[in-house]
Amino acid sequence: MTDRAEVETSSSPPGPLTGLRVLELADEKGQFCGKLMADLGADVVKVEPPGGQATRLVGPFLDDVPHPERSLYFWHYNTSKRGITLNLECADGQGLFRRLAAGADIILETYPPGYLPSLGLGFDELARLNSRLIMCSLTPFGQTGPWRDYLTSDLLQLAAGGQMACCGYDPEDVPEAPPIAPGGGNAWHIGSHFAYMAILAAVHYRDVTGEGQYIDASIHEACALTTEAAVPIYIHMGQVVRRQTGRAAAAEKTEPTQFATREGAWLNITRSGFNLTPARLRQLAEWMDQYGLAEDLLDEKYRHANAIQANVGHIAAVLERFFAHISLEEAWHGGQERGLPWGAVRSMDEIVVDEHLRDRGFFVEVEHPELGRTFTYPGAPAIYSRSPWRLARRAPLIGEHNAEIFCGELGLTKAELAALAESGVV
Amino acid sequence: MTLPRALAGVRVLDFTWVRAGPWATRWLGALGAEIIKIEWPEHLDILRTNRNSIPPGIEPTPNAPGQFADTNVNKLGLTINVRTPRGLELIKRLIAISDIVIENFSSRVMRNWGIGYDEMQKLRPDIIYVSMAGFGHTGRHHHYTTMGPSAQALSGLTFASGLPGKPPAGWGWSYLDDTGGMYGAMCALTALHHRNATGQGQHVDLSQMITGITLNGAAFLDRTVNSREARRAGFPPGNRTVWPGTPVVNNYRGPTVAPHNAYRTKGGAHNDWCVLACFSDDEWQRLVDLMGRPAWATDAKFTGVMGRIQHQEEMDEGIERWTLTLEKYELAQKCQAAGVRAMPVQSSEDRVEHDPQLRARGMYTELDHPVLGRKKFQGVPFKLSRTPAAIHRPAPLIGQHTRQVLQERLGLSLEEIRAGYEDGTFWPKGMPLYPYIQESLT
Repeated sequence: MTDRAEVETSSSPPGPLTGLRVLELADEKGQFCGKLMADLGADVVKVEPPGGQATRLVGPFLDDVPHPERSLYFWHYNTSKRGITLNLECADGQGLFRRLAAGADIILETYPPGYLPSLGLGFDELARLNSRLIMCSLTPFGQTGPWRDYLTSDLLQLAAGGQMACCGYDPEDVPEAPPIAPGGGNAWHIGSHFAYMAILAAVHYRDVTGEGQYIDASIHEACALTTEAAVPIYIHMGQVVRRQTGRAAAAEKTEPTQFATREGAWLNITRSGFNLTPARLRQLAEWMDQYGLAEDLLDEKYRHANAIQANVGHIAAVLERFFAHISLEEAWHGGQERGLPWGAVRSMDEIVVDEHLRDRGFFVEVEHPELGRTFTYPGAPAIYSRSPWRLARRAPLIGEHNAEIFCGELGLTKAELAALAESGVV
Repeated sequence: MTLPRALAGVRVLDFTWVRAGPWATRWLGALGAEIIKIEWPEHLDILRTNRNSIPPGIEPTPNAPGQFADTNVNKLGLTINVRTPRGLELIKRLIAISDIVIENFSSRVMRNWGIGYDEMQKLRPDIIYVSMAGFGHTGRHHHYTTMGPSAQALSGLTFASGLPGKPPAGWGWSYLDDTGGMYGAMCALTALHHRNATGQGQHVDLSQMITGITLNGAAFLDRTVNSREARRAGFPPGNRTVWPGTPVVNNYRGPTVAPHNAYRTKGGAHNDWCVLACFSDDEWQRLVDLMGRPAWATDAKFTGVMGRIQHQEEMDEGIERWTLTLEKYELAQKCQAAGVRAMPVQSSEDRVEHDPQLRARGMYTELDHPVLGRKKFQGVPFKLSRTPAAIHRPAPLIGQHTRQVLQERLGLSLEEIRAGYEDGTFWPKGMPLYPYIQESLT
C-alpha cells in the first residue's frame, strides 16, 4: 500500500518550525496542537507525569492488548515528539521544569485553570526567567468566567459548543432522533486548531519584536465559532436552524443530498441542483442513459438553467433511482469527471487505498523499533514546497528521552537521574 | 492605549471565496494583517448571493447577507477584472507588495490567469502562496472539486457521525469549510515564521479534503495497524461509546464508558436536551446520589462499567426519567456542582442569548455594518496578552475600498481610477455603480 515513505534524512530540508522548542503539558485536549507543531519540525518535548499520561490508556490498542505503549490513540496524537517524565508537584520537579522553561520558546498546557500558578509555574513566574516565552493555556472554558472550572469531555463540549444542535436526522429517517455528537474527538481538534493559530501569531510577533506573551484559549469558544451559518442566521434572521439527515441544519427544510448506492453505501451531492448547468446535466443524462435510467433528463427543456432549478426535486428523484443501480465508486468519480462536486461517504476501508492520497505521499511508514515493526500513518494535509512536513518518529515511549534531556541538556549525571527516579521525581 | 496586533504590517492578497478561504483570511485579519479581498461583480462570491441570512426588510443586494458579513469581517474589498490586461498588471503590482497570496479555487485557475506560483515568485521572490483546493494541486484527482459536504464525506468524517444501521447523520454544516479555513490560516502563519527565519517564501499546497482525514487518526491506525474493518456492526454508536448489543470496541472519541449519551430535558422543544457522561464508578455513584438514589439505579448490575454498558438501554431510560424533570441549564449546573459531567445542548440562540460563559468572555462583538446596521459578530476564541486579536472592521461592501487600495497601495491617480471604471477594469461595463462607489470617485 505504501510506496512513498517519508523518512527524515540528512538530505531533507528542515520543517518550517525547525528551531522552536515546545514544552507540551497537554492531554487529550491539546496534544493534537503539539503534534501539528512537531510534524512541522518543532522540537516538541512532551512532559508526562512519572509512569505516563492517562491518554496512554485510551484505545484502540495494538492487537487489542491494552498497554501504555500500545495505544493507537496515543500513537497518532504524539508523533514526532520527544517524551520526558517529570513530577511537577515536588520541588525538584519544579526546579527542573523551570530550567527547561528558561530555554523554551513555547509552553502548551491544558491543566485546569490555576493549577500551574499554584505550583509556582504560572506564566508570570516563568516569564521572569524567559522574556521571550510564549505560553498557551488551552482549557475547556478559558481562564475566567462562571464555567471556568466545569468538568468536561468531548461529548460535553460538542453539546455546549453547538455542534450537536446542528447534527441529526430528518424525522422520516429516524423519528425522535437525538441530536448527534459527531465522532472522532473533534472538540479537541477544533480547540487545537485555534490554539495553533494563536501560538503561531505570537511566534511571528516575537520574530519581529523579541517579546513573548501569554495566550488564554478556550475550547468552548472555539467550538461555539465552528457551526458555520447557524449563529449568523440567528443574529440576522432570528431563526434557529433544525437538524436534517446528512446535510446542513436549516431554518426551513431543504432537499435531501445523500443517496444510497447499489451496495447500500451513501453518496453526497453537496446540494440539490448545485453547479448543475444545462451542459453538465446533459453529460449526466447521457451517462445515465447508458443504463437506460435517464428518464426525461435528456429532454430539450433542460437546456435552460431555469428549467433545471425549477425541477431540482424531480431531478434528484431520477438521480436517486440511478444511484441505486451503480456502485459508490462509479457514482462519485462519475460526478466529479462531469464537474460536479460529489463525494462518497467513505470509511477508512476506502480511504487507506485511495490512489490520489498515495500520489501526494499521504501514507507514511513509521518505524516502531522496539516492536521491530513498521506501520502506516496518516500524513500531511498540506505540502510545503521548501520546508516539508514529516513524521520524524513514532510517539515517545514513557520517559524515552529523560537521559537525553536531563543529562544531555541540563547536565545531570546518570546516577543523579536514577536518584530522581527513585524519589518519583522523573 | 491601543495594543499592537500580532500581524501588523503583514499584507494578504485574498482571492478566496465562499467559506473555507474567507474563514482563513478572517482570522489573519483579526490578528492584524491587512486583507485585500479581490472580487468581481459578474462572478459573485456565493455567500453574497445566498438569501438565507438576508434580514427581512433589507434589500437583497450582494451587501446584505449576514453570513457573508460575519465571514468577511476585518477585510478591505477591491473589485478588479483579472481577465483584462490592465487588471492583471495591477494584480501583479499588488502581489509584488504582498506577503501572502491565498486562494481556494480549483487547482488550475491561478495558473490560467497567468499568476501561478512561478509567476508570483518573479514578482516577489519571498512570496508565500497558500492554495486551498479541495484535493490540492498534487495528485491524480487534483482537478476534482469539493464543497464542505463532499469534502467531509470523502475524508471519513461524515461516516463517523450517526446512529448504527441508519444513514450517516454527518455534520449539520460545512465542518470542513471551517476546518479547511483554519488550516489555510495555519499554513500561512507557519510559512510566515519560516520566512522570518530563512528569508524564503514557498507554496503551501493544502487539500481541504485531506484536513479531515487526520482528524480521524485513531480510526486510521485501527484500520492500518489492526486491520479492523471500519464498516462494522454498531459503528458509529451515536452519542454512546458502544451501541447496545454490538461488540465492545473503542469508537475513537476517548475511553469506552457508560453512561455517555444525550437525554431529553424539561420542555420537550427541539433543543431541550443535555448530555451526561460518567468516566468512573465514582462519577456514576455521584450521579446516582444526585438522582436521589432511585431503586433501579442502586441495582448492583450498574456498579461497574461493563455492567453499565451491558444494561445501557435500561440505564439510559432511567436517567432520562430524571433529566426530564429538570430544565437543561439547571440540570447541568446541579450535575457540575456535584462533580458529574453534564452540559446543555445549546442552539445558536442559546449561545448568543443564554450562555453565561460566552457572555462573560465577550464572545460576540457589536459592529456597525453600513447595510445591516449595528449587529453582533462572532468574536475570537483566544486572548493574546500583548497583541489581542479583534473583530475590528465590518465586511466590505462590494468594491468599497477599490479607490482606497489603488490610491494608497499602488499610487494610482483618481483619473487613472476613473478610467478603469469606464473601461471595465474595476467594474463591469454597463452595470450600475452603487452610490458608495460613485461617492468614492468624486
